[in-house]
Amino acid sequence: MRRITFGLLLCLCLSPASRAAGVVYVINSAGASISVVDMATQQEVRRIPVSREPHHLVLSPDGKSLLVGDTAGNEMLFLDPATGAIQKRMPVADPYQLGFSPDGKFLTVAGLARNQIDVYDAASMKLIKRFPVVSTPSHIAYSPDSAVAFVTLQDSDRLVAIDLRAMAVKWNEPVGKTPAGVLWLNGKVLVADMGTDYVAQVDPATGHVLTKIQTGKGAHNLFLSPDRKILWVNNRAGGTTAALDAGTLKVMRTYAIPGGPDDIDFAPDGKLWITRRWAAKVAVLDPATGSYQTVDVGRSPHGLYLNARAPAAVK
Amino acid sequence: MMDDPFGIAAGWVQEYLLIPLLYRLGLMSWEDIAFNWALFAVYGACQVAITFAVCLPLERWRPVERWPDSSAVWVDALYTVISRVGVLPLVTFVLFYRAQVAVNGALADHGWVPPTLERLFPLLLGQQVLTFLVYAAILDFADYWRHWLAHRFRWWWALHSLHHAQRQMTFWSDDRNHLLDDAIAFVWFGVIAVLIGVPPLQFPLLVLVLRFVESLSHANVRLSFGWFGDRLLISPRFHRAHHGIKAAGDRSCNYGAVLPWWDMLFRTADFGGEYVATGDPGGEEALATGSYWQQQWAGLRRFGRAFHKRSFS
Repeated sequence: MRRITFGLLLCLCLSPASRAAGVVYVINSAGASISVVDMATQQEVRRIPVSREPHHLVLSPDGKSLLVGDTAGNEMLFLDPATGAIQKRMPVADPYQLGFSPDGKFLTVAGLARNQIDVYDAASMKLIKRFPVVSTPSHIAYSPDSAVAFVTLQDSDRLVAIDLRAMAVKWNEPVGKTPAGVLWLNGKVLVADMGTDYVAQVDPATGHVLTKIQTGKGAHNLFLSPDRKILWVNNRAGGTTAALDAGTLKVMRTYAIPGGPDDIDFAPDGKLWITRRWAAKVAVLDPATGSYQTVDVGRSPHGLYLNARAPAAVK
Repeated sequence: MMDDPFGIAAGWVQEYLLIPLLYRLGLMSWEDIAFNWALFAVYGACQVAITFAVCLPLERWRPVERWPDSSAVWVDALYTVISRVGVLPLVTFVLFYRAQVAVNGALADHGWVPPTLERLFPLLLGQQVLTFLVYAAILDFADYWRHWLAHRFRWWWALHSLHHAQRQMTFWSDDRNHLLDDAIAFVWFGVIAVLIGVPPLQFPLLVLVLRFVESLSHANVRLSFGWFGDRLLISPRFHRAHHGIKAAGDRSCNYGAVLPWWDMLFRTADFGGEYVATGDPGGEEALATGSYWQQQWAGLRRFGRAFHKRSFS
């Protein structure tokens, strides 16, 4: 009997369910909801209704709240990252993309539909300054010292750098057609130019483009793996996800992820969870084999957050 | 969790038709809007198909009128397709999106963040279907007044009379509108959106039902919903009275689009049992039987004349 019990426990420990316990929150932009997906079963277990059109989400610096921006609803929701329970709601104008500075002091909110970048004091959630920009600010990155926020301006093909100490625009430079995702890597700023097939490497001091790295049609968003060795780039028009060596920026492998790959989060088991905007699905990619499993979620899945430590999701 | 045929169809259109086109044209910044348009077009195509499948047999079964030559009806069918499936939504998304952004941005700079009904009435939070229905009722109420005013102002009636000129009114006639009349309606609802926010649009079936009621109300069919039903939803008989020859212009009645409650409340309802002839004797013939562009041009001419004439015509 004891042996059977031990055997069962061992099976439980080794099963995929226990290796990847937790939940994934997936924002359904055109479905006005957040899908709660059980990581172990890879099944959606419930949906959290949102007012209108949520797009992105970010974990607060203290890890206690998941902030979800509802653009057309002009509202920010604060969720418990463990349970998905709504902690509070706050009126915010057009919160499209959200990002906390590395030191946790600032929250930058890009208002894509309203051509504005808002910088908040993260502790008090008070608006420090609004930067009107031209036009359609979409993605946000910071310098590691939290001194500068970089925001792509999709429609004007530019990247704007905001000096957070002076609360002033540092520079605003052209970086390629329809810039979307932006990331700080190895002392440079990388920008995924969605209107092209490349990622531009930009000098953070001047905003000048240094090099262009071909990744695939419609380079949209980029993510650094947790071990900082691989740069992942989603190519929207090509329907591919490219893996680049983070040091050399050479493309190592390209994976076919049809359906408009967008955001990525990384599971402890090494798999990538990728939202597929036009397929209403999330792909769970195994980089070793190149195969992926699909999770049905809501319409136009966009931002996602993976909380491997959360208890298993329940209905 | 549940199948979403509208989303799947729109996703296919987006991935295989729109994204390659946008990428080639250097317009990838429009990709989110393109998906919304694809959804709109898919909804529209379904609306047209279902309306056609239900209303055509009804019109064959119990028509109010039979016409030896019904060629004027085909122009109305063109209006429907343009309005619901493709061109108008595309123009709306492209042209008005920028205007909406500019207005909303300017308002945000002045501290105005459009609320939502849920924020005004927290009991609605999380009640998405109920919220949608409350929005639908408010927007129907707003449309009642927009429509009433369109019959009151001479210049506005000059545009709106295109909708009333049809003597062969069928379920296709719902979307027969002058482009400027459509533009005014857009601005009208844009202002309301600034005041109370936009309704959630993730309920295609409910949108479909509402649009179906509007199309059915124009159908050439002897159909009422009974004493109670006619006071609950607008029936073909009720709306036909609004399109009656004698009721053209500022003498009309039954201005509601989906709910007859506003007509009852403001004493503009006529629940009489007649199935009257439709049309606008005051308008020129091109408004009734012209081609699409002849109708639009005739409406524009009448609009211009409205600023010079004192009489209501």
